[in-house]
Amino acid sequence: MAERSVTHATFTLERSYDAPPAKVFKAFADPAIKRRWFVEGEGWEVEEFTTEFKVGGVERGRFRFRGGEPIRNDTTFHDIVPNERIIFAYTMTIGENRISASLATCEFKPSGAGTQFVFTEQGAFLDGLDNVGPREGGWKSLLDALGRELKS
Amino acid sequence: MTKRSTSHGSFTLERVYDATPARVFKAWADPAIKARWFVGIEGWQLLERSIDFRIGGKERLSGRKGSGIVSTFDAVYHDIVPDHRIIYCYDMRLDDVHISASLATIALVPAGAGTRLTFTEQAVFLDGYDDSGSRERGTRILLEQLASELQNA
Repeated sequence: MAERSVTHATFTLERSYDAPPAKVFKAFADPAIKRRWFVEGEGWEVEEFTTEFKVGGVERGRFRFRGGEPIRNDTTFHDIVPNERIIFAYTMTIGENRISASLATCEFKPSGAGTQFVFTEQGAFLDGLDNVGPREGGWKSLLDALGRELKS
Repeated sequence: MTKRSTSHGSFTLERVYDATPARVFKAWADPAIKARWFVGIEGWQLLERSIDFRIGGKERLSGRKGSGIVSTFDAVYHDIVPDHRIIYCYDMRLDDVHISASLATIALVPAGAGTRLTFTEQAVFLDGYDDSGSRERGTRILLEQLASELQNA
């Protein structure tokens, strides 16, 4: 049996996007747009990505990275304020092992003609299988991908 | 229109119970047992209770406080490791106003013949709701009620 442990950690990332809050929000709310920047990274094979963007709705992602073990993202939406805020909880699972459970807050604030975007993750990292460093790095890459999506 | 804001915080509580991890776990997992201790304080009146204790399952507890305000707890279970760990995310609403979302971790570790329970809550409070430590105080009371339950059973 795995040695059970939990490490709790929080991180915050901020980005200035040259797009209004409604457009940045839509990149989370519209499944076709979200799929482009959130799951279709280089080397990722997407086996399933379904999202039900409403409070209480569920998003399921099933991926592999370069033919590796199956990776699962299971998300539940807790709070949605159009163009202003999204709060969701998600777990990451690799193979049979749940590696984390997190609460994420996305805030979209008008800033000139653009958006000040603030992402806060409060995470529980499990059984020594994951930790906050790689998670923060992963989200930095995702927010860069979102930036490219908003420019396209 | 509501002025939107968030306030992130966390707290950790520890308690040692004079009961095995299996018994402490069961007090969270068994709906009949949980219904005895997972209740509001004096003057609180139950309106609705349901629990589906499995990963992805939901729990709801709604009640009217002495003040007349209806509080509703809505949770989703994210991780369950029997006798070791329970993780759930929950929303609190006061009269249908969403005041917080939280990630709660309950970790159980054997301590002598008993169990050390560590409760960690990572929360975001919404739109100016002023918690002022009441969540931590309320959770402390719940863990005390759990102690009474484990002593009485």
